[in-house]
Amino acid sequence: MSKHQYAMVMDLNKCLGCQTCTIACKKLWTDRDGTGYMYWNNVETRPGLGYPRQWDRIGGGWKDGALQPSPLPTMDDYGHAWEYNYEQRLYEGKKQPVMPSPEPKSGVNWDEDVGGMHEDENYFFYLPRICNHCTHPACLEACPRKAIYKREEDGIVVIDQDRCQGYRYCIKACPYKKIYFNEVTGKSEKCIFCYPRLEKGQVNACAAQCPGRLRFVGLLDDPESPVHKLVLVHKIALPLFPERGTQPNVFYVPPFNPPKRENYVKSIQEDPRIPLDYLIYLFGPEVQDVIVRLESELKKTQEGGRSEALQLLIGRDAETRFHVRPQFVQIQL
Amino acid sequence: MRIRQLLIIASAVLLLSSMIWAQAGAKPVAEQSLSVAASSASADNLLNGGPAAWNQIAVKRVALNRTPPLYDTDEPATLEIPSVDVRTARASGRLLVQLSWRDPTHDAITLAEVPNTPPETRFRKVQTEADDRFFDAAAVMFPAKPGSDAIAPSLQMGDAEHPVEIYYWNATRGAMVMQAQGRGTTRRTGQSFPANSTYQNGQWNVIFELPDLPSGTTVAFAVWNGSQKDRDGRKYFSVWQVLE
Repeated sequence: MSKHQYAMVMDLNKCLGCQTCTIACKKLWTDRDGTGYMYWNNVETRPGLGYPRQWDRIGGGWKDGALQPSPLPTMDDYGHAWEYNYEQRLYEGKKQPVMPSPEPKSGVNWDEDVGGMHEDENYFFYLPRICNHCTHPACLEACPRKAIYKREEDGIVVIDQDRCQGYRYCIKACPYKKIYFNEVTGKSEKCIFCYPRLEKGQVNACAAQCPGRLRFVGLLDDPESPVHKLVLVHKIALPLFPERGTQPNVFYVPPFNPPKRENYVKSIQEDPRIPLDYLIYLFGPEVQDVIVRLESELKKTQEGGRSEALQLLIGRDAETRFHVRPQFVQIQL
Repeated sequence: MRIRQLLIIASAVLLLSSMIWAQAGAKPVAEQSLSVAASSASADNLLNGGPAAWNQIAVKRVALNRTPPLYDTDEPATLEIPSVDVRTARASGRLLVQLSWRDPTHDAITLAEVPNTPPETRFRKVQTEADDRFFDAAAVMFPAKPGSDAIAPSLQMGDAEHPVEIYYWNATRGAMVMQAQGRGTTRRTGQSFPANSTYQNGQWNVIFELPDLPSGTTVAFAVWNGSQKDRDGRKYFSVWQVLE
């Protein structure tokens, strides 16, 4: 058990699917040899295929205390990193248009905005994803090299690149498929929750760059932190696929789930635009209680009152959204 | 559940067979001997001279075993490589070991060369071509202090009192020296060793150049079949052989 636990809350009502977080992460961490196809942070459309394709349906995680089997996703599932033939077009005078190669067939948000249909009405929302830095990580348990460890001081899960032998048991074990194999180095890598930034008092790159201001970062055990308030006090943020048993430390404020068109007077629960079953699939049955809570907070403000929870969710400034406490998590030597 | 049953059956079979051997007064399986030729050829000739240099050297067929499933999530694997042919020779103060085995699938690639410039200075990076392939490999394991102890180390990568050296060759990533003292402790030393490999007509021929291990040293062999997703302890292994 870690002494402290960094956590992130993402408010799905505010995500605009712009992938600024994805690019912030990519430029900082995965702009190296062998990392072209990997996005430690990605945003995908839900319902949808996801990245890698069908990651939520292929296995991993825990059941009755045992790791669950899963295949390794293939490069076709992630999408190959492509390059453009600028040389041929611009320097060799070839007439064909600039084209990516290999032909893109999958990617971080391949089925963008396709979504689903519910009683003749289209619906979708965006789901930004990073490593969940789980309290009970399946990847850590699966690694025969003991290359994966959970930092005692802040609960961040990292892969020791010196110990890793590239066996990929961790990729199979992770129910979120958030570990990636680098064939150039022969080792696996993943989101490090920007711990080098946190140690210097800077928030994660994905959170810092988010134009939608939907990410909240802090220590789950710090009563002053926004993540503590959203998850443990207001109880309006939930982990993804809690039944996979890894106890994620990334939490989501579920979509408010507006009523269908021309039904504005009806409540969210009466006439949901997003089928409730789908939200239960993603966040477990507790999502129903969260929706009730969110709706009552909304009602409070509509009647002229003040909702602490909604004020926090607006997240006007960085001080509200981020409580990075390097002095709090220092290792006592 | 199925794995547990398999393990119980496997241990029952092992127990039964060891009882039969004990009754017959035969040598325990763990003490099989391996003749070592004193070759007039040089170590370099044996390593790089092709099959002619090895023709006169006696071959011993060593049975390979498949490790039982190590993890609950492992896919089951069949015994596709039942044995490895071993030739050993001393030359130029080195011990050369040739391992040959039949493997219809050639699981090896040539990785793209990574330029000797920082990736951030380059427009194009070397890309991961595939994330789900595993490569053929083989290894020779022997005690880190050969001849110092009458007891052979644990076959599971040695043990705390009996550390082992592992000369590991991978069809894609080359030769590397490893050390271990028990399962899960294997680490790369950063050293390499001379090795040579050929794949022809569904057969691997891999030559390892080892230090000159004294007579009586125990050595064990392992083969990984990439197409069976072998890596880690998921592999074929022999029992200890004693160098004559």
